[in-house]
Amino acid sequence: MHWNKIGQIFDPSDHSVLGQQLEFAQSPQTLILEDRVRVYFSTRSRSRSRYGDGKFLSHIAFVDFSRDFSQILGVSQEQVIPLGDLGCFDEHGIFPINVLSRSGEIFAYTCGWNRRVSVSVDTAIGLAKSYDGGRTFQKVGAGPVLGPSLNEPFLVGDGFVRFFKNQFHMWYIFGTSWAELEAGCAPDRTYKIGHATSTDGVNWKKEDGVQIVSDRLPERESQALPSVVEVGYRYLMAFCYRYSSDFRSNPERAYRLGFAWSDDLMEWSRADDQFRFSGTTGCWDADMQCYPHVFELNGKTFLLYNGNEFGRHGFGLAELIH
Amino acid sequence: MFSWTKMGLVFDPENYSEKYVWLKQFAQAPATLIRDEYVRVYFSCRPGPDKQGQYVSYSAYVDLNRKNLFDIRAVSERPILTLGSLGTFDEFGTYPVSVIEKGSDIFAYYGGWTRCESVPFNVGIGVAVSKDSGKTFERLGPGPVIGYSPDEPFVMSGPKIRFFEDRYYLFYIAGRKWKLVDGRAEPVYKIRLAVSEDGICWNKIGKDLIESRIEIDEAQASPDVFFANGKYHMFFCYRYSEDYRGKAQGYRIGYAWSYNLIDWTREDNRAGIDISETGWDSEMISYPHVFELDGNIYMFYLGNQVGRRGFGLAKLEGHLR
Repeated sequence: MHWNKIGQIFDPSDHSVLGQQLEFAQSPQTLILEDRVRVYFSTRSRSRSRYGDGKFLSHIAFVDFSRDFSQILGVSQEQVIPLGDLGCFDEHGIFPINVLSRSGEIFAYTCGWNRRVSVSVDTAIGLAKSYDGGRTFQKVGAGPVLGPSLNEPFLVGDGFVRFFKNQFHMWYIFGTSWAELEAGCAPDRTYKIGHATSTDGVNWKKEDGVQIVSDRLPERESQALPSVVEVGYRYLMAFCYRYSSDFRSNPERAYRLGFAWSDDLMEWSRADDQFRFSGTTGCWDADMQCYPHVFELNGKTFLLYNGNEFGRHGFGLAELIH
Repeated sequence: MFSWTKMGLVFDPENYSEKYVWLKQFAQAPATLIRDEYVRVYFSCRPGPDKQGQYVSYSAYVDLNRKNLFDIRAVSERPILTLGSLGTFDEFGTYPVSVIEKGSDIFAYYGGWTRCESVPFNVGIGVAVSKDSGKTFERLGPGPVIGYSPDEPFVMSGPKIRFFEDRYYLFYIAGRKWKLVDGRAEPVYKIRLAVSEDGICWNKIGKDLIESRIEIDEAQASPDVFFANGKYHMFFCYRYSEDYRGKAQGYRIGYAWSYNLIDWTREDNRAGIDISETGWDSEMISYPHVFELDGNIYMFYLGNQVGRRGFGLAKLEGHLR
């Protein structure tokens, strides 16, 4: 079993949204519609607030592909979901968004960003619903559905929700430490993958502080963006992982894709070595592979992911070959 | 009918600011733990501001002679709880505190403060336990014990822990919005409730317990609930959303009653306490805490500038009915 790379399928610099050329198309995630595959992603603008001028703000946009990914049908031209109001958990960005269609309703789980003083940011997971087929979303309240708790003190984010075995499952990440890892630099964060369940998709029961996927790096592995798909009678999780410091420009310490298998959605065994997913020298994903999203379409299993510079240059597609 | 007879200022932190650097100013949000010989009163205080003019806050206690609450027996040698570690919800303050006994342990629920970029702060509610009769506390975990939710998005603070009819009740405040007033972000918050079997896993009731009276953006705090004569009595404080640092729109003490802890009738005109003509509580009164001691019912409360000069005592006349 291996991933067959199909290649880069979306370059944001070829497109404009709301009059601005796109910069970044991060964390692609799908909504499968009858006549198309809608891929949501996060793009960035510069903030013009009275605080933190010039810092990035992440916004959600989407691109529609034909169901065989051979054609781009269009790019969103209106605001998909607004950022939060003053003081809200998602005031300074939404990145990423996970969309789930179930029983005729379309839900979205957002990762909202807000800026802090002693550390750069915090995040939490919000819920929104769409009443127009996934073109725009309305938030269910100003606050999050999943945030910090006794044993997950900060950086709860990257929620991915699916309905398996009669309940909703959310895989997400939670922060385990903020620390100054390089002298004189801003504090760096470390985070791990966690799991919560729910009967209604709104009220969640966390395992609270339980890391469900083991580390493979020798020190301070950060794990992000879990997504899960059924493959045969098993469940396959894709995620990305990196060192917690010096990971932005050092390819040796940058994000790589990790994988894990489970038979029961509870115990996961790491399977990076089975897939040996790697970048292609000299190409858009040579130095970094991150923000994977696995999904099923037409009986096949696919993987979307970002490459160099956390998705500045868009995303690519791969297919699972049995 | 009932009313409160003011007995005067009990504890003025300025008498201790020479001795303790962390007790420079303020003694806010008094909460009692009654002992055989003394009444331990937890309160919150601040060292002087840092170079940027920013404050952190700590909680500490003072032990009062049970027979004479104006007789100070001891003041804690240090804060009862450290500040949280880098990036946690309580990195910049642990205030206010409410305590409850559970066997030989004492649990403290407290507001933890962090600093934000677009608004000055956020607050979450933490829990800590004491194994040494309430002198020092250790966190049960690095994060908050009750989470934010779609209708309680930020500024969850002012916890008051109670145990009624075999269940724990956590009264607290939750932020409703940040209101920009002359370019300054001011929080509006309302009184809320959660219920728990174990004090750790909480179910939110999900409604404002006290209707807003003076304006839609009225801020409410310090929901202090006391059971007497078959009813639950809540004393709390409220203020306007703007210009609330002075006398006209500053904090006053309100009153409400309930039979079931969830549906409350607000009757501020029955609170039985108001600002004084002159003195330390002549501009505002806030953060009431009601307790029973040796057959009498008392209230601790704060005066001008929300406790900069400490807290005072009043005694109930009549009956809470």
